Amino acid sequence: MTRQLQKMPDLSKKIIQRLGGQRVAVFLIVAALFSFFCIASPNFRKYSTTLSILDYSYYIALIGIGVSFPLITGGVDLSIGTGLVCYSLIGGYLVVYQGWPVWLGMIVCILCGVIIGALNGVLVGVMNLPPFLATLCTMMMTRGLGSIFSTGLGISWPSLGQEGGWFRTIFKLNIGGYKLPLGFLWILLLVVLMSTVLNRTKVGRYIIAIGSNKEATRLAGINIKTYYIITYIISGVFAGIAAIAYSAIFASVYPGTGAGFELEGIGGAIIGGVSMTGGVGNIVGTLLGVFVICILKTGLPFIGLQANWQQIITGIVLITAVLIDLIRHKRAMKLVTAALKKQ
Amino acid sequence: MGEVILTMEGIDKSFPGVHALDNVSFELRRGEVHALMGENGAGKSTLMKVLTGIYKKDSGTITYDGKEVEFSNPREAQHAGIVIVHQELNMLGHLTVAQNIFIGNEYMKGVLIDDARMNAEAAKLFKRLNIDIDPAETMSKLTVGKQQMCEIAKAISHEAKVIVFDEPSAALTESEVSELFEIIRDLKKKDIGIIYITHRMDEVKVITDRVSVMRDGAYVGTLISENSTKNDIINMMVGRVIYEEPKMASKVPKDAPVVLRVEHLNAGRLVQDVSFELHKGEILGFSGLMGAGRTETARAIFGADIKESGDIYINGRKVEIHSPEDAVKCGIGYLSEDRKRFGIVVQRSVAENSTMAYLENFMRGLFINKKKERMEAEKYVESLAIKTPGVDQLVVDLSGGNQQKVVLAKWLVRNCDILIFDEPTRGIDVGAKSDIYKLMNDLVKEGKSIIMISSEMPEVLRMSDRIVVMCEGRKSGELGIEEATQEKIMHLATQEN
Amino acid sequence: MDKIRQNPLVKALGFNRIVLCLVLLGMYGFFALFANNFVSYNRILSAMNYAYFLGFLAIGVTFVIATGGIDFSIGPVMFCAAIMSGYLLTHFHWPLWLCLIASIVVGMLYGTFHGYLVAYKSIPSFITSMAIMQMSKGIASVFTKAQSVSWPQLAQENGWYRNLIKIKAGSTYIPVGLIILLAAAIICSILLNKTKMGRYFLSLGSNREAVRLSGVDVRKWEMRAYMICGTMAGIAAIFFVAAYTTVQPGYGDQYNNEAIAGCVMGGTSMVGGLASVGGTFIGVMIISILQEGILAIGLNKNYQLVITGLIVIVAVFLDVLSRRRKN
Repeated sequence: MTRQLQKMPDLSKKIIQRLGGQRVAVFLIVAALFSFFCIASPNFRKYSTTLSILDYSYYIALIGIGVSFPLITGGVDLSIGTGLVCYSLIGGYLVVYQGWPVWLGMIVCILCGVIIGALNGVLVGVMNLPPFLATLCTMMMTRGLGSIFSTGLGISWPSLGQEGGWFRTIFKLNIGGYKLPLGFLWILLLVVLMSTVLNRTKVGRYIIAIGSNKEATRLAGINIKTYYIITYIISGVFAGIAAIAYSAIFASVYPGTGAGFELEGIGGAIIGGVSMTGGVGNIVGTLLGVFVICILKTGLPFIGLQANWQQIITGIVLITAVLIDLIRHKRAMKLVTAALKKQ
Repeated sequence: MGEVILTMEGIDKSFPGVHALDNVSFELRRGEVHALMGENGAGKSTLMKVLTGIYKKDSGTITYDGKEVEFSNPREAQHAGIVIVHQELNMLGHLTVAQNIFIGNEYMKGVLIDDARMNAEAAKLFKRLNIDIDPAETMSKLTVGKQQMCEIAKAISHEAKVIVFDEPSAALTESEVSELFEIIRDLKKKDIGIIYITHRMDEVKVITDRVSVMRDGAYVGTLISENSTKNDIINMMVGRVIYEEPKMASKVPKDAPVVLRVEHLNAGRLVQDVSFELHKGEILGFSGLMGAGRTETARAIFGADIKESGDIYINGRKVEIHSPEDAVKCGIGYLSEDRKRFGIVVQRSVAENSTMAYLENFMRGLFINKKKERMEAEKYVESLAIKTPGVDQLVVDLSGGNQQKVVLAKWLVRNCDILIFDEPTRGIDVGAKSDIYKLMNDLVKEGKSIIMISSEMPEVLRMSDRIVVMCEGRKSGELGIEEATQEKIMHLATQEN
Repeated sequence: MDKIRQNPLVKALGFNRIVLCLVLLGMYGFFALFANNFVSYNRILSAMNYAYFLGFLAIGVTFVIATGGIDFSIGPVMFCAAIMSGYLLTHFHWPLWLCLIASIVVGMLYGTFHGYLVAYKSIPSFITSMAIMQMSKGIASVFTKAQSVSWPQLAQENGWYRNLIKIKAGSTYIPVGLIILLAAAIICSILLNKTKMGRYFLSLGSNREAVRLSGVDVRKWEMRAYMICGTMAGIAAIFFVAAYTTVQPGYGDQYNNEAIAGCVMGGTSMVGGLASVGGTFIGVMIISILQEGILAIGLNKNYQLVITGLIVIVAVFLDVLSRRRKN
């Protein structure tokens, strides 16, 4: 009997460990934030609000998943925000002004992501530029390219009912006047897929290894240049998918926007437990982290704060998340030293 | 012992300014544990790096398994069956033990990695080696000893015929060492040849069959372990090649005032309860093996690392040193063993480097008085005989010895009374070495006091007035120069607790 | 080639700076040939309008890059300073001189906050840059309730600040702004090369740990680099409104890249330890002529974003290469 009792907390500890302490904590934060806004504002409780949170979450979640990979290698990808707008503008331009079918426009979005991602990968992995600087440049370049392509105009992908408008139902299905957030399902599927890639494939394994100890990975005979390029291509592809989500959710896309989206994606990833120091991260955590940001973003206007406060809050949230990450890192180091001393 | 599997003959290797390996020969048989011994810098690690293809040899032949070989990288050597277990760990802290062991050689199930199989294989491997480690545990959560075991397991997983252990026991506890020995005996039975680099005399008897000794990049000789005594080996290691006679007696008067007193200093695993005194005009040698905690002690005194407890008195007055800034104000200067990382600012000039610690003395109002700065720098370029085209030369372009002198100039400009020299002659050629020695002797004549950390025994004996020996983070003894011999120091440094 | 490098005159002026000046002249020549009416005093004045604020931004960020960090929040911070002080002027009717000071103070506060996070909290500077970029945009919008702010025209009351960039003298203009920017560049160059602060910036950019072990309080100095950078962004705000009067919240990030481009083109190394204010000055001139020229040959502003991005990549790559060769 006593033995069983002693075993009990062990078991719950194991469950928490399995789920990841951080993920549980972030999940609780998501729940707490959601409940807070629900209590504070009756309007927040409406189904339409939940829908709009989800609407906002798709593109942020997608770039968040993508950027988790460069972050885990110890780098960063700043080009995802302006990138997604750029790809959406290019794809949309081809669909709206050149009469390309919508599905081809969607493929173009992803293809653009691959190209910019590969460029980032070469700059970082082969040419050895600091990741933040290389991607800062591509950030500005994609912003310019998007505007050049769309000749400075906003672009509206076909809306529901128009020819090609079907693609909007990928993310929101309308059945008998009831709106179903289908996009959430795709996000969940992608989370499962990318979790598998990160944890169960060579690509993921070597990405973690590079973030953990670049030199040791190289000495193990792994071609780290290739894996840097793959890392940034993943990030680019997800920016491409995010471009599709963004085009499908919002009526129009405007050139010159998109700066700042990357912050929400990166912020979500860091809140979700991706470490700035590299080597640590999980995709489920990133998704939860993105929801912290999305709920804040959608909820703040309900308690009377203007939308502009969102930017300030995201900034503060990001800095706090990094600070916590650094403190955690320090504490882990201390624990190791303490253990060694005991020896 | 079986047939010969590996012979290295007439190996030569030079680096700019250093003849690292001079006509070295070495032989290894199947199923043999062959110890490779020598002081720090004797060339053991260099020889192994030549063997595994990290360095390219200048001349000589390596015959392995009946064929002459030359590997161009460690991976090639690994494929051929020669693996090295490094002293510094090449681990990926965020991955699990099994993932570390099979990195680059993962078991696959389609596109997915078969982690279950890797865990099982790792568990099998551990079971065979009789090690108790959970393959699914995260690497960074293991103790250093266990991590070392994993490195060994990784080496064995490669179907090796020759395994090089580079000081494997340095980070292991006693029980882990005996585990390691069990593994080694097991490997021996499988006819694997083992090269065992170590500093610990007592291990030689316990585990090795033969012992080869190197000194100053040259091969000295080989003994049968069973028939040799600790003293035989020490005599071979230290030899009698000292550039000058050691100091016979200290010239420091017995009643010279104490300028620095350290009491019960604690800082991490490698600085435990260290106490000592430094007298005016004295050179206090700090001897010990690599990783004995000498550098850590110096850094803790200097405020470069956080110390946990302990008091520091300067000229009898207790001082609080929490940062290098405080230490410099107290008149302490620290010349790091790693000049490139901690000593010089490579992209700046000789003059700028030499005034780095005392810039406030070279200000004229808001501006740096460059004329005064240059004059001061020129003064030291001359008095320290720094070989440089001019004081505006970037430090990155100077040789190691001259860089060291620039760091010294930095502290002399500051007029520090207490100087800590950490391995002052590492990586410096012979000529520059005696320059540095002469400088140190001149400094103490001027009334400065010096702590000299050195792994080179002749250097310690030649320079010091007194010698503190450290072993595993503790002070294991203190010797006056009159009584000190290389043998005595080595005994204290290898003291087992 | 080496002979040219060894020439004492070339050495004194700096080989890189001479190359940069040639690039500047070449670019001017290119646009003179291919753009209509490019060779005119008014064109140059218009290009200089752009150079003034960009020059202050770039000189400021030169200090941060010298320490081995980065600040790409300066564009939005400049906008935030311009918007807040402009709002104080137009809505709260503060005296003009006080608003100009307010602009500088706002910039300095951002710089201080940024420096504190980087130096004392050890957060990577590119993360803090991102966060502060967003925050400054948000704060500006919250302050003006997302309205854009228009500073007064020259003829209006309180319009005299526009004389800071050019003064009408008879039928022509005197480019006062150029004189002020040059003076600022000279002062900053002295600050970087002749004072203790500049010495510490460059040294800690080259080897932070060695400087710390020389007994220097590196955190204090590192923070000051960011403070200077922020202050310069505050000053840049004044020159921005003096040239263009209207500022809209939520923008300004394109100027980050252009400032950094000017900086790295001028020979300031991204890895820290090497910096030249004079080089930055010429780099900014190149960017300004480029932007004027791009407009003049009938392309829009967006081409500049792409070209600047490419310039930074090439400049940094050359820097990485030359370092690798040295080691």
